[in-house]
Amino acid sequence: MSETGPSLITIFMSMALINNFILSKFLGLCPFFGVSKKLTNAISMGAAVTLVMVMASIATTLIYRFILVPYKVEFMNIIIYILVIASLVQIVELFIKRTNITLYNSLGIYLPLITTNCAVLGITLINAQANYAMVQSIISALGGGIGFTLMLIVMSGIRERIEFADTPKSMRGLPIAFIIAAILSLAYMGFSGMI
Amino acid sequence: MWIIIAILTAIGVICGVLIWVTNKTLPKEPASLAKAQEVSEHLPGMNCGACGFPGCFAYAQALSKDKKVFFSNVCATVLQDNTMLGGIEKSLDLVVDKNAMNKKAVVCCSGDCEKIGTYVGVGTCKSATKILKGFKKCPFGCLGLGDCTHVCPQNAISIDVDRKIAVIDPDKCTGCGLCVKECPRNIIKLIPADSKVVFRCSYDSIRDIPGREKCESGCIHCRRCFKACENEAIIWNKDKQIPEFDLSKCIDCGACIAACPKNVLTKLKVDASKKEKVLTK
Repeated sequence: MSETGPSLITIFMSMALINNFILSKFLGLCPFFGVSKKLTNAISMGAAVTLVMVMASIATTLIYRFILVPYKVEFMNIIIYILVIASLVQIVELFIKRTNITLYNSLGIYLPLITTNCAVLGITLINAQANYAMVQSIISALGGGIGFTLMLIVMSGIRERIEFADTPKSMRGLPIAFIIAAILSLAYMGFSGMI
Repeated sequence: MWIIIAILTAIGVICGVLIWVTNKTLPKEPASLAKAQEVSEHLPGMNCGACGFPGCFAYAQALSKDKKVFFSNVCATVLQDNTMLGGIEKSLDLVVDKNAMNKKAVVCCSGDCEKIGTYVGVGTCKSATKILKGFKKCPFGCLGLGDCTHVCPQNAISIDVDRKIAVIDPDKCTGCGLCVKECPRNIIKLIPADSKVVFRCSYDSIRDIPGREKCESGCIHCRRCFKACENEAIIWNKDKQIPEFDLSKCIDCGACIAACPKNVLTKLKVDASKKEKVLTK
């Protein structure tokens, strides 16, 4: 299926590091600032996003390949993807709640929050744009999710330490977090052009 | 045009049916969750976190799994309220000895302490403590900057403007202990709610700091309260040189309170006249 496309490792590294969702695509910024105050929360959120990203990629790739392309309605992908992702998250939430209550508790509020996360919609649209096959889209979603988790962990680590730093009063909290994000983003630009 | 509408409707209907089918076919919520739901109806729902769980529902889940949690991580608000306590006892099938567990927080400082300088820094006790161990003469005096007032979920703590110390209203206090953790000088203590007498001084010679005397209004270790008590309800702690109370023997006669020359011993609820006495001293 993927004779012409880039190799799987290239896709994975590109999604996780080089075209990182948060720092170079600016997708999923709300959890990046909202949930990065504590390391444990960041890890839970990252895990939940990765899970939903992979599942959404599988579902949307199927829909794109077998419904949208044959009927020539590819331009409808945004609205259909929103619908599919929202229902998918609902089903996953129900499933986890009924089968594994411990996992449900540790994911907590983050699972329903992801319903409208732009990073999840972003990965499905990127997959459609690049016309990835099934394996490629799963790998790219996995890379995107792991890159997202990595950034959340890095950010929460920094913000936990920033709490103890002598920050000017007007810069405390979110303002300094935005500046840190900008510096991180600049640093990550070093990866650009590696592929 | 029509094909677009058809596809969108079809996908919407399929998604809806899928959610419905998942909801129907999956096994019902585990019994523990239903039980937790029942328990949580008897909890205050303030989500203060004083019990040690992230919220009332998490506490209810822990309770429904193991009811002994109620004794290890007690919810002080439930203890104060008979309807809530009755509901918990009924749904968890346990018996709670209310008086033995009920606690009140008291600020163990009488105030009126001389200052060693003027503090103009950040207006929290936590910051003030870091500079020369606080701006009051006594290293264990209440700074009165009100860190504890902000954490109290019941708004039971106020700052006495004249004496510049925190005052806890025992009627509002639920004994949750949040202020005890917050106080950087460790001078808020939890005492049994049926205590008749409160020893309002935290000066401790064991933890003394060289070069810092204790304040004028603190305990002078005269042992007059110990001698005044006829029922041997006061036990003199020789190491710390402070009185301790045996609640089973105390008959609330007030002899020790009258005997104390420094007004360090007070009733749990300080009435207005007493406050004035301290002020005019």
